[in-house]
Amino acid sequence: MHYVAVSLVLLLIGTAGLLLRRNIVIILMSIELILNAVNLNLVAFARHHGNAAGQVFALFVIAVAVAEAAVGLGILLALYRNRETVQVDEIDLLKW
Amino acid sequence: MTEKLATLWPEIILFTCACVVMLLGLSERLGVRRLCAPVSAAGLLIAGLFAFYKTPVDPAAMLPNLPVFGKVLAAGIGLLILGLLTGIPDRDYEARVAQGRTRFDPKRTIRSEFYAFFLFSITGLMLCAGATNLIWLFLALELTSLPTYVMVALSTQRDKSLEAAVKYFFLGAMAAAVFLFGFVLLYGATGSVELAQIGATLRHQASVEGGINPIALAGLVLGILGLCFKIAAVPMHFYTPDVYQGAASPVAGMLAFVPKAAGFFALMLLLTAPGWGWMQPGGPGGGHGSLPTPIGEILAIIAVASMTLGNVLAIMQTSVKRLLAYSSIAHSGYMLVALLAGPGRPGTLLPENGYSAILFYLLSYGLTSTAAFAVLALLERKGPDGQVHEADDFADIRGLRKKHPALAWVLALSALGLMGFPPLLGFFAKLPLFASGLAGGHLVLVVILGLNSAVAAFYYLRIVSAALLESPDASGHAEGMVQTPFRGRALAGYVGVLAMVAMVVLPLLSAGSFLHVTPASWASFGGTYKDAAPLAIAPRLPSPAKPMGAAPTGEGPMSEDAPARP
Repeated sequence: MHYVAVSLVLLLIGTAGLLLRRNIVIILMSIELILNAVNLNLVAFARHHGNAAGQVFALFVIAVAVAEAAVGLGILLALYRNRETVQVDEIDLLKW
Repeated sequence: MTEKLATLWPEIILFTCACVVMLLGLSERLGVRRLCAPVSAAGLLIAGLFAFYKTPVDPAAMLPNLPVFGKVLAAGIGLLILGLLTGIPDRDYEARVAQGRTRFDPKRTIRSEFYAFFLFSITGLMLCAGATNLIWLFLALELTSLPTYVMVALSTQRDKSLEAAVKYFFLGAMAAAVFLFGFVLLYGATGSVELAQIGATLRHQASVEGGINPIALAGLVLGILGLCFKIAAVPMHFYTPDVYQGAASPVAGMLAFVPKAAGFFALMLLLTAPGWGWMQPGGPGGGHGSLPTPIGEILAIIAVASMTLGNVLAIMQTSVKRLLAYSSIAHSGYMLVALLAGPGRPGTLLPENGYSAILFYLLSYGLTSTAAFAVLALLERKGPDGQVHEADDFADIRGLRKKHPALAWVLALSALGLMGFPPLLGFFAKLPLFASGLAGGHLVLVVILGLNSAVAAFYYLRIVSAALLESPDASGHAEGMVQTPFRGRALAGYVGVLAMVAMVVLPLLSAGSFLHVTPASWASFGGTYKDAAPLAIAPRLPSPAKPMGAAPTGEGPMSEDAPARP
């Protein structure tokens, strides 16, 4: 159960980073942190239940996280080339 | 294993087609590059036909008929959206190549990626409908979303769409992390990733401990919250107007349907696992009843908030695209009412079965919203700075009837359809939402749904009157509007509206009484698979010996459903 506590802490740190930081790269890192919390949870639960489904799930999550990071960094790079900023506050063309 | 593969032919076909398209768009010859869209259309058509005629009903699935209908729906509306998307990629670049100002360079084009990503996204939607376990569901949802982030970024040359893509991507990644955490907690609580097995374990735990497992409850709540992003419902709706406005109209039209359908398929599967019937004295079990208490309450709050917020904010918009975005939030709220009502008693048909109501509403919403976005995508004007502007503001469509009467009528009809104006398809799609809500006992929600539909009429009628009745204003925006030269977009608009009208008129002529309209038009769907009743989207619950007692309920379908009853 210690693993679950650690993963909960990771989740909280990730969420806090997501909501409080203004630099997009750090937000991306926070999302990765949440996904790592998920992985830790999955492996701990797999051990707890004694079946491999959780570990297989964790492998898929890692693969998807890589794809997501690739797409995210690609979009980020394109934005940086056009706007020369990675601060969330300065991305404000669209407002209600 | 191989039986499972046999249900996946539509996805395999689409995937192969996407790979072919990815290569075609890189060719030196214009004729071959132009093949991208027709080949995608052919792939979608073949996949749809396969789903309709050849896909066996998977008996192990929790909702046996959902995959078949979901795949046919994805392919059908996907064809319309494909028409809408034509002309987006490489428009300026191809023009420069044609004028001989630059040489064709495969590295600088986006045509192949754009169409291939669209097909990947539709593949993900189809996989979503057929999901049987959490890993599959997660991968399918990600396959639906990841390409759409890129498509938003590529959709126009301007900074706006990049900014929209950044917002969409980061909120989307966050939502994915949230529902993934929910899925993991569900796995932790039950020790299984199979949805049917999770449901059985949850019901077993409830019968031992007298309530739903708190970890599983947290998992379900997080799962619902994360999926709210996909369907654009309230706590996760912030991105919708910005992204719709920043993306090109055709891509916005796609975002209004594809992720929403995927989200609703996922929500249906996720909620079928614990099942309905938690508040009954007999304990959890059958289909009729309600969800576990906090889940039902959370869903009700989300539904009310989405409907109200979407409609109220839509009234205040001056941009038609933002208006459609807020209305898409409201439509998700409407469908959540039916989701809350659930599939009803086993074997109930359309008016009472909330699941079929949602599926039919998705069909109707897909047709009408695609038609509405097609009109916006078909209109553009050259600004003073020489840049091409898409139709966006109300000033752009005011007095549309003067120059483009056909487009004005398409826009007006689709707005009326979205509003649910009586003789149109939207009305017949909305009726089952009300009926299933009532059958599920959610009177308050149904009343709020009715009030919200009345509020929505205000802004939909504004579109109708701007397009048909008013005259162009002094800005000259409406006069400057010209039709884009893409036949696919016009086709999408006309076919969408025609299908919307035809699906009402044909059953009306054959069936006579209007309440039979929807079942009759659905029976043609149901005719293709043998073993199930046309509308039985009711879950097949692997419930361990329901405490039904000896008293027969008197319901016909029930007794057929449980042959092993003592």
